[in-house]
Amino acid sequence: MGYGNYIDPFVGRRPDYTVGAGEKLELTFVVLPGESRDIDVAIDLVGEGAEVSLKGLYLCGGEERVNFHILMHHRAGGCVSHQLFNGIAGGTSRVTFDGRIIVAPDAQQTEAYQENHNIVLSEGARVETTPQLEIYADDVKCSHGATTGRLDEDALFYMRTRGVPETEAKVLQMISFLAAVTPEDRKEEIENAVNQLV
Amino acid sequence: MAENDRIIQEFTSGEYKEGFVTDVEQEFVPKGLNEDIIRTISRLKEEPDWLLEFRLDAFRKWQAMEMPRWPHLDLPEIDFQDIIYYAAPKKDKDRPKEIDPKLAETFEKLGIPLKERDVLAGVVAVDAVFDSVSVTTTFRKTLAEKGIIFCSFSEAVREHPDLVRKYLATVVPAGDNYFAALNSAVFSDGSFCYIPKGVRCPMDLSSYFRINAKGTGQFERTLIVADEGSFVSYMEGCTAPMRDEQQLHAAVVEIIVEKDADVKYSTVQNWYPGDADGKGGILNLVTKRGICKGDGAHLSWTQVETGSAITWKYPSTILKGDNTASEFYSVAVTNNYQQADTGTKMIHIGRKKNARNYSQCDSLLIGSQCGAHTFPVIRSDNPTAIVEHEATTSKISEDQLFYCNQRGIGPEEAVGLIVNGYAREVLSRLPMEFAVEAQKLLQVSLEGSVG
Repeated sequence: MGYGNYIDPFVGRRPDYTVGAGEKLELTFVVLPGESRDIDVAIDLVGEGAEVSLKGLYLCGGEERVNFHILMHHRAGGCVSHQLFNGIAGGTSRVTFDGRIIVAPDAQQTEAYQENHNIVLSEGARVETTPQLEIYADDVKCSHGATTGRLDEDALFYMRTRGVPETEAKVLQMISFLAAVTPEDRKEEIENAVNQLV
Repeated sequence: MAENDRIIQEFTSGEYKEGFVTDVEQEFVPKGLNEDIIRTISRLKEEPDWLLEFRLDAFRKWQAMEMPRWPHLDLPEIDFQDIIYYAAPKKDKDRPKEIDPKLAETFEKLGIPLKERDVLAGVVAVDAVFDSVSVTTTFRKTLAEKGIIFCSFSEAVREHPDLVRKYLATVVPAGDNYFAALNSAVFSDGSFCYIPKGVRCPMDLSSYFRINAKGTGQFERTLIVADEGSFVSYMEGCTAPMRDEQQLHAAVVEIIVEKDADVKYSTVQNWYPGDADGKGGILNLVTKRGICKGDGAHLSWTQVETGSAITWKYPSTILKGDNTASEFYSVAVTNNYQQADTGTKMIHIGRKKNARNYSQCDSLLIGSQCGAHTFPVIRSDNPTAIVEHEATTSKISEDQLFYCNQRGIGPEEAVGLIVNGYAREVLSRLPMEFAVEAQKLLQVSLEGSVG
């Protein structure tokens, strides 16, 4: 006992990415309307000072099934990981986000953050999110947050009073919701997809 | 660092002051669990046939179930045949009406007033449960004048069978889960409370559960019913002697909140946590659930968890009526080898404009060998609902400690201060009597753990 029930997640399973001392990994996942995806990523931070940044964006308007399984394992101390996944679910789509951060015993001075935000557009869509923190060291800064909500009525109203048509107001809000996870080089493509969704 | 470790050590090694044993003659049923034992318990309690049937049905369900493996806990194997399911202090034949002075002394020592006198700020009616039976319930007359029923569960079965039958197992069905099924089969005593339509309960109602006998388990059952437009504040406390063996406590609490009624439920859980090497302690595996049945109903949970070797508890609310609301505030402190798996479930069924669910879960780690895990589950099928969750895990910041030290506050006191500040939002929700006790408990369970 002592460390409770810590189980090394990479016993009998290989990480998809191993990030060593001083190394930096940045990944962005983009799932556009019409695509069903199972995205399963396991990352092992094994050396001091390793840094990981994960971003995810998903847009669903039909019958898509999008599942994220993220495992972020801080094996070594002094590493930093950031995760941000923002998505919009409409139609009869199903989105699940299952993300786990594990901080191994003695991986002190870890910083690990995870956020998942969702907008549900329609009655038929369904979002299930389970962000998980499993911490076995004490000198850490870890947090996670998840929200599931809808477009902000007040913001839409504000824009309409300023003469922005409803559809455009919705598009604008969705684009800004996704901005933090939108890669620079795919901006246009994503904006078009949002337009089509509305 | 060594200095810090020493202080942490001292801060967390506070004594468990409720660990004594009361020497009273008790009667037991034989060890083990089978239909005969259940029939014996039911007979000893002079129960009607329908309740025996309920128990046997639950037992059959339990036999077909398996011990759940999903919790993220180091749960020891429990030998259900090695437990005594019923223990009761023997009644003195000469004065059957009075409480055994030894029992009265026990509750006195625990600070539970069994005599009807005013305590602290207000008046509290108490139902005191010793092992498997309720010893006494105070202030019944005052309450009865308002039509409020507050008595032991066994008495409710005798005196108000229709009410018990109407509500029993309507929130936590007998086959709900492994431990709820076990409780439904062997439950001993507990409290029953019914607040009639439109009545505001004039005092806090309180149950105090005490495990005394060795080798026993406690399986109490509490049923709280708040009828239309009524209000009640209910508190529950518990302690047990210090022993090397682990003892099982598997309770079920059901709360029914009718239309526009309001229930405030508070617990200070202080079962024996086991010693510094993880020996002994109570396995606290309970099911607590309320239903906001009618429109506009409100249920609020507040809990302070400092005791038990293992706590597994998710007080939950089913928001069935329209425009219902529920809150859950909890502080849990674990020390040494203690494990707590706790949280809440909110099931939103009823309609409400702009329905919103917000949960926040913060963990403060003290010492380098502890762990904290946060596993929220959010399911939303509704495009108008807003669900939010956030969680943090951190240790007491060096800056905060430094700031206190610099102002002449010693390290230990500083940690106490920070922890109390951390827990304040929850503590402030507790009724006055409880808040004082809870604050003291936090101090005791943290003694020596400060860094």
